Order: sequence, then C-alpha cells, then structure tokens
Amino acid sequence: MAKNKFKLKHHINYIGVGLFLVITSVMMFMGVLNRSTANLITQIAYSIILAVSLNLVVGFLGELSLGHAGFMCVGSYLGCFFAKYMFAFTDSKLLVLIVSMLVGGLVAAVFGFIIGLPALRLKGDYLAIVTLAFGEIVRTIFKNLDTFGGALGLSTKKYGSELFIIALIVVLIMLFVMQNLIRSKHGRAITAIRDNEIAARAMGINVTFYKLLVFVVSAFFAGIAGVIYGHYATPVLYSFFSYNYSIEILVMVVLGGMGSITGSIIAATLITYINFVLTTNLSGDLAALKFLIYAIILIAMIIFNNAPALNPVKERLGDYKNKVLNKITGLLIKKKYDPSQVVDDHAAWHRIPSKIKMDALLSLDITDKNNQNGGDKK
Amino acid sequence: MSTLIDGLSLGSIYALIALGYTMVYGIAKMLNFAHGDVIMVGAYAILSTIALLGSPIAAIVVAILVCTVLGIFIEKLAYKPLRGASPLAVLITAIGVSYFLQSVAQLIYGAKSQPVTIGNFGSVAVGDTKISLAAIITLAAGAVIMSALTLFIKKTKMGRAMLAVSEDRGAAQLMGINVNKVITVTFAIGSALAAFASTFYLMQIPSTSPTLGAMPGIKAFTAAVIGGIGSIPGAMIGGMLLGIIEKISLSIPVLAPYTTALEFSLLILILLVKPTGLLGKLKREKV
Amino acid sequence: MKKFLSIALAAVVSVAALAGCGGGSGNYTANNTEFFIGATGPLTGDTSSYGISVNEGAMLAIEEINAAGGLNGVTFKYDMKDDKSTAADAATGYDTLFEAGMNVSIGSVTSGSCDSFASKADEDGLFFITPSASAANVIENRPTAFRVCFGDPDQGTLAAEEITKDYTKIGAIYDTSDPYSTGIYNAFEAKMKELGVEYIAQSFDAENKKDFTTQIEALKDCEVIFLPIYYTEAGLIAKAAAAKGCEALIFGCDGLDGVADQVDSSVKNVIKYITPFNVNSKDATVAKFVESYKAAYDGKVPDQFAADGYDAVMAIYEAMKAANVTDPTISPADLSEAIIPVITGADFKYVGATGEMTWDESGACTKVPQIVVLGE
Repeated sequence: MAKNKFKLKHHINYIGVGLFLVITSVMMFMGVLNRSTANLITQIAYSIILAVSLNLVVGFLGELSLGHAGFMCVGSYLGCFFAKYMFAFTDSKLLVLIVSMLVGGLVAAVFGFIIGLPALRLKGDYLAIVTLAFGEIVRTIFKNLDTFGGALGLSTKKYGSELFIIALIVVLIMLFVMQNLIRSKHGRAITAIRDNEIAARAMGINVTFYKLLVFVVSAFFAGIAGVIYGHYATPVLYSFFSYNYSIEILVMVVLGGMGSITGSIIAATLITYINFVLTTNLSGDLAALKFLIYAIILIAMIIFNNAPALNPVKERLGDYKNKVLNKITGLLIKKKYDPSQVVDDHAAWHRIPSKIKMDALLSLDITDKNNQNGGDKK
Repeated sequence: MSTLIDGLSLGSIYALIALGYTMVYGIAKMLNFAHGDVIMVGAYAILSTIALLGSPIAAIVVAILVCTVLGIFIEKLAYKPLRGASPLAVLITAIGVSYFLQSVAQLIYGAKSQPVTIGNFGSVAVGDTKISLAAIITLAAGAVIMSALTLFIKKTKMGRAMLAVSEDRGAAQLMGINVNKVITVTFAIGSALAAFASTFYLMQIPSTSPTLGAMPGIKAFTAAVIGGIGSIPGAMIGGMLLGIIEKISLSIPVLAPYTTALEFSLLILILLVKPTGLLGKLKREKV
Repeated sequence: MKKFLSIALAAVVSVAALAGCGGGSGNYTANNTEFFIGATGPLTGDTSSYGISVNEGAMLAIEEINAAGGLNGVTFKYDMKDDKSTAADAATGYDTLFEAGMNVSIGSVTSGSCDSFASKADEDGLFFITPSASAANVIENRPTAFRVCFGDPDQGTLAAEEITKDYTKIGAIYDTSDPYSTGIYNAFEAKMKELGVEYIAQSFDAENKKDFTTQIEALKDCEVIFLPIYYTEAGLIAKAAAAKGCEALIFGCDGLDGVADQVDSSVKNVIKYITPFNVNSKDATVAKFVESYKAAYDGKVPDQFAADGYDAVMAIYEAMKAANVTDPTISPADLSEAIIPVITGADFKYVGATGEMTWDESGACTKVPQIVVLGE
C-alpha cells in the first residue's frame, strides 16, 4: 500500500472526517461553536462508530446482527462504571476517558467473542434473532443490578461539549483499523466467507477464526461508542439499548450500502442529523409528528435506493451526477477521470456488495433454490 | 397448575401473532416487523367500533376488515416496490411502516392507554383454581384457527400455490402461479390473523395504546423462531412454550425481574441445540 | 461517488454549524422579549402520555399567566422538547433550549432524563422545578434543582405506615424497570422490615407489563395489594384481580391518580391512594384548574401529571413575582440567585392544583397528601 501512488478513494474517509475535525475544533477554540452543535457532532461520531462496526458484520461478513446495541450497552455500563471509580484516583478527564473507552471496548469484545460462537453454527435469521436476544438479555441484567444503578441508571461525571473532539479522533482511529483490516488479506478472507462460505472453507480459509475476529472487532468498537455515549449522556439508562436502537444502527448500514464504509459514514451522519433536526424543532404538540416524518423519509429513501423499478431513473440521475462530479474532479485534481482505472481490486470492495445475493443474508432456508442457483452462477 | 393455564392463554396470544409472522416469512421471505402494529390498529378499530356501535361482534368484524385492507395496502405501497430487492431493505421499510402506524395512532387517539371492554367473561372454577373463560376461548380459537389454516394450505388451490411459492418462487412462477397475487393474499391472511390476535389480546388484556404491538410482536417473533420459522405448528408450539416459560418465571419472585432474559436465553439454547428451531427443517447446504 | 457526497455533507454540516452559532460555548446571550420557561419530556414512545399531560398542564398555566398580563408587563414563553425518556435527548433538548434563551425551567418529566437535565442545569446555575421527576438523586446536591412532586422514598415510607395500620395480609407489585416504582418500593421494603411486618412481593418490568394473572394468582389471598406504580398498569392489575375473583383492597401512591378511567364495572375492589391531587376535590383552586383544563383540551380530564406541570409553571411564576423580576434578558444564574432565597423563604407558599406547597433548600417540596378512595 505504502509504495502505491496516493489514491484519493483510499483516503477519502480520513480526509472527510479529518477536515471536519479540524474545522470544528478550530471553531470550538475560537468560541464560535455552540453547545448543541458540539453535541450533535458527538452523536454523529458515536453513530458513525456504531454503523461502521456493524457494517463489518452485516456488510463484509454477511451475517445479520440485531444486537449491536447490546455490545454498546455492555461497553457503556462497564466503561462508565470504571470511569466512576477512576475519578477517585485521578482528576485527568482525558486519561479517564481513554482508559474507560479501552475497558468498555475490551469487555464488549469479550461478549463479541461469546456471540461469535453461535454464529459458527447458526445462519441468517436464526443468528439475527440470537443477537437480538443477546441485546435484550444484557440490558435486562443491567437493569436488575443495583451496582449499576438499577432502574435509575448509572450516573457518572459529565463531560463538556469538547468531548466531540475525542469522539472524532476515535472515529479516525477506527476508520484506520477497519480500512486496513478490510483491505488486507484478512479482509478478503472475510468477504470470501460472505460470498460463499463453503468455497471459502475449501480454499483453506479459517472460517471459525475470521467469524470470531469480525464479531470481536465489531463489538470492541461498539463498546467504545457506548462509553462515549455514556460520558455524553449520563445517566446510562438500560432502556436506551433496546432492539429498536440496534435496528436504527442497521438502518444506517443498509441505507449507506452494505459493505461501504463511506456509505455508513454518510448514512450515520444523515440519520443522526435528521433525528436531531426533528427533535430540536418539533417540540410540544408537534413532537408526535416526528416519527411520522422520520418514517416517511425512511421508507422513501429505502424505496428510492432499492426498488428495482427505479433503476433506469437512477441510472440517468447517476450519469448526470457523474458528469458533474467528473467536472469537479477535473477542476480539483487536474486528472481526467478514467473509468477503466476504477476496475482495480481495491475499488471492487466498494462495488461487490451491490452484486451479492442478499437473499443469502436473511434466508433461513439454507437450501433455498434461488440462493443455490445464485451461488452456482458465481 | 393455574400458572400453567395462565401461561397457555398468554401463549395462545403469542401463537396467534406468531402465525402471522411465520406465514409472511414462509412465503414472502421477509420479517414483517410491522405485524405487531397491525395488531395495534386492530385494537383501536375494536375500540372505535365499540364506542360507535356498542357491539363487540361488529367490532371484531370491523377489525378484521380494517386489518386485512391495511395489510394489503401496506404490502402494495411499501413492500411491493421492493420485490426483488434485498430482504434487508424490506426489513427496514417494515420498520418505517411500524413507526408510521404508531405515530398515526398517537396523533388520532393520543398517547394515553385506553381501556376496552369486549365483554366480561368471568371465570370457571376447576377444583381450587379459577380459570378465566377468556383464556379458554383464546386457547380454543387458537387451535381452530391453526387447523383451519393448515387445511387451507393443504387443500385449496391458493394454499398450495402459497406452498409452492415458499418452496421456490422462481419455479412457481414458471408453473404459472401469480406470485404477486399469492403474496398479496398472504399479507391479507396474515393481517386478518392479526385482527384475531388483537381481539383475543383485548379479551385478556383490556387496554390499548399506540405501542401495544411492539413487545408482543417481538415475543411472538421469538416464538416463531423457537418453533422453526415458516412452520405453522411450530409457531403454535413456540408461542405456548414461551407463554408458559414467561408465566413460570414471573411466578418465582427471584426470577421475575429476569423474565425477559430467561425467555431469550431459552431461545438461544434451543437454537444452539436445534439451529432451525423445534420444527424447522434442517437441510444440508450444497455447493 | 459517495466520497464526494461525504465531503459535501461535511461541508453542509460545517456550514450548518456556523450558521447555528449564537454565542460562544456556554456563554449566555439572551435577547428575549419574553420570559422563557423550557422543559423536556417524553412526547413520543412508551412513556409519552406522562410528557403530554405535563406539557398540557404547563401550557394551560402559561396561557393563564399571559391572559392576566404576564409578570410586570412581560409575557411568558414555554417550550417542551421531546426526550423520549432518554438521557441523550434530554441533554440535546437542554442545550437547544439554553441557546434559545431559556431563563428558567420545569426540568424533565421522567427521573432518568431529569438527572441528565439537572446535571447540565447545575453547571449553568439554571433554576428548575420538575413537575414529576421524583427520584431522590435528581435534586440531591444540586442547589438550583427543585420539585413539585413528592419524593419517592417518602411515599414508600408513608404507604408502609398507612397499610400496616389496618391490614396484616399484605402484598405488593412493583415495576423493576421504573425508577419511580423501585424508588417507592425500596423505601417501602425498608420500612416494612423496620416494622417487622411480613408481606409478599411480586414484580414486573417494561417488557412484561400487560398480563398480570401470575402476580394476582400469588397475591389473591391478600387483604391489601400495594401498587407503587402508574395508573395504566394499575388498571390492568385491578381488572386481572377482578377476573380472578380477588377482592383485595388496592393501595397506591400518586401514580395511581387517573386509574378511575382505566377500570370498568367489573372491578369491585376498593382502590385507595395517597395523592396530592384529587380531580374530584371540592377545593376551589383544584376545581378551577380542572374546569379550565377540560375547557382547553376538549373535555379531557386532567391527571396528576397535568396538575404537576401546571403547578411547576405557576410556582415559578409566583416565585418570580415575589422576587419582582422585570427583565426577560436576565441570565439563568442571576435568575436563580433572585428566586432561590424567595422560594425557600419562610413566608413563601404556593397554593395550586396539588395543594399548598412550601420548599426548603434541599429542593424538596412539602405538601399535605390526601387519601383518595374509589369504589366504596
């Protein structure tokens, strides 16, 4: 990689998030960034971590997980619990934050390993419901533990709005880890398992190892996101981590495109932003409209993105967009856009997901003929 | 003993809801997360009709009509455009529909839960324990509906078409089956089942709220998976099992706060032993 | 192409951020022309009925205040942001309100989110009186945090004393997922232990709060069932008891107010609860509140949350009046300094829909509970 020429598409995520971080931090230190915007950025940051880490499981490994909020819950409770006791020994908020994130992430990773075990045996919806069950079990247990505040929730020291800077740095670190994982031979092994597990096994890929690896890495980052969330909004309440929240993360992944990290970043930003705008603008009597509007936006976006009937329309739109974007690229980078260059192996990572048979993801019926035929054709 | 009966009657509600999940899953291959909310709509239909006409029977008929029409409507509007797209996209749309129905219900009826009385059934005494009649009716109706459904699928042309579509959609289409029509009918039946579920739900739990469908929906989904999703008797067995476990756990004070955790742990255990549920067919994967 | 979108999006959000900046972080720059009372509460989701009731009660109070000409000629503005009972949305709501110029607040409706709200208010020195967040930790060690409702532990202790006076076979059902319910129950449990009285406890949680046959089965021989929960579930429990032929008296706390609408003729049990608010009270202040609430909301009967919301706003208004606040651009911290000595003063009392109230430095409210009896 290092020897290769600098390629924009490999670094776009860092550049995007990094620029965002620099701009907002400067604004912060100039005192022109207001608190609610800083909070919005924190929310966006932990949503991005959640979405990208879930994408590793759903988009790259091809297993449906409905329990991502469960990992977040574990990380959030244990990380914040640890932080609470650490404040007795140190006053450094930064140190406590970093250590508690590691603790939360590691504990969540252990749970990721545990949940990865049934993933070796179960497929599709059955795995999905097991992950959902895991999420519900975890939060029910935390609800009943008085050590963690019980129904009242776990109160910790609140962090100020500057938390968003750390959160964005964590996003950058996570992107670095994820992209390097995905673009390595390990990443290829993972996508090979997604495309055809039996073939991958036959090729000598250690399926057990990679499945567990994906669950552990994904849970680790979900746990970290949980710790950021916990420090952002104390008290940590068990009710937040319900399957509804897991599904909201899944919405970000599906909307952004399975197996597209950039897509997840955009979708997480967009959905968090929409929610924020709706929550802050629709108050009082109007609040009931919030979910109505959200639901309509959601259905419209999904149908527009996925409906086969709309493909011709989208192609035309896409052509138009490409033309405009090519012009912009030409202006910015002074290099003519050459479609033939896109067909290198790295770019393919972004494109494969649209090709894979999604039936394989959700179908319980492992011998569904459609799937088999789909597999055979490949 | 009475815990067992209570469990069975709660289980029969789960089973009825699970039937709807299982049917739609088996044929359309999608998780209809909005199914619980169709039950909520049915409950409000019953509430409104009783308020207007005063007759519980009319209310049930209206609920069935409303739910069936709603089911067809949702299918045409939200799911049909996505036919052929990834099931995950359809899953997300279903969640969108679920949010939509909940907020519409809140806008029309308010967020407060409202009591609904379908009728006072009283209870029969068996030995020492009193068994609520509503529970017995629910149990019996559950059995009748399940048998009717099984007969329908085995004996009628449409039923067999459903079976064919669930086996192999492509081949069914080649054999001249109108797949779109079959799926629409499936949604209609699934939603009519939801209306029955709301009736029996209200008999035992006489109160409605916009979020009524969410938790029973997810529990019923669990029940369907325990039984082996796609299998009709499986949904019944799964529902009953879940109901009984829930009631036993609730009756032991130490376990009661952990009931949800216990139910879901049971699910995980069953799936680890039988990866496709109790009655699900396990087929070998071939390359 | 998505990459360009991501840059575009980052740019859009940055611009939005720029456009959205009113002042420096944490700096308060009010250019209010009205006094601004802010609040957050669940307006959507499972607990939304509580938030909506508080919101309606508070809006009624604002209308009445403004119709009477406001305070020193300055009218009041009020806004409740939806927090879905989550800590994160309460924090977001707080900051949005703060930046919009909130001078004073009625906090959040539910305990969990009010804890989040209060920790932010504490930093800014913003004064708030929560209508209904009754958990002890909401006002603990927070000098600017006050409440209108009873504290949970007090109610539990009181209930234990009341119940043990007349009954010996006692049962209790509480909600393990609700801070309100566990707060009361824990105090009840402690008091019962202290009194040395045996009782049977049953519980449920947010995931299993519809079907209560099991709990009733265990408690069917009790003379009294203590329900430290809200009216929705209490109504279902009463009906389940009726269906099982259990004739125990149902005893509850202020959350039970509103249960009358949830039960039907099948329920023969006597229902008793300790509450500061009685919708059928003959008291002139209460009757006036109930009348104007019904007139404002199509004949809807106010519940205790609505009364608390009304009282919280009115208490702020009375305190501001007594402190003679005239400037709507006053900063929250300055306003707190003006109000707190007044409201905790010995001669300050407010008579509202939930009775006569006085406050001390802890922020807790002293008022006289009544016992309401239904179905006797």
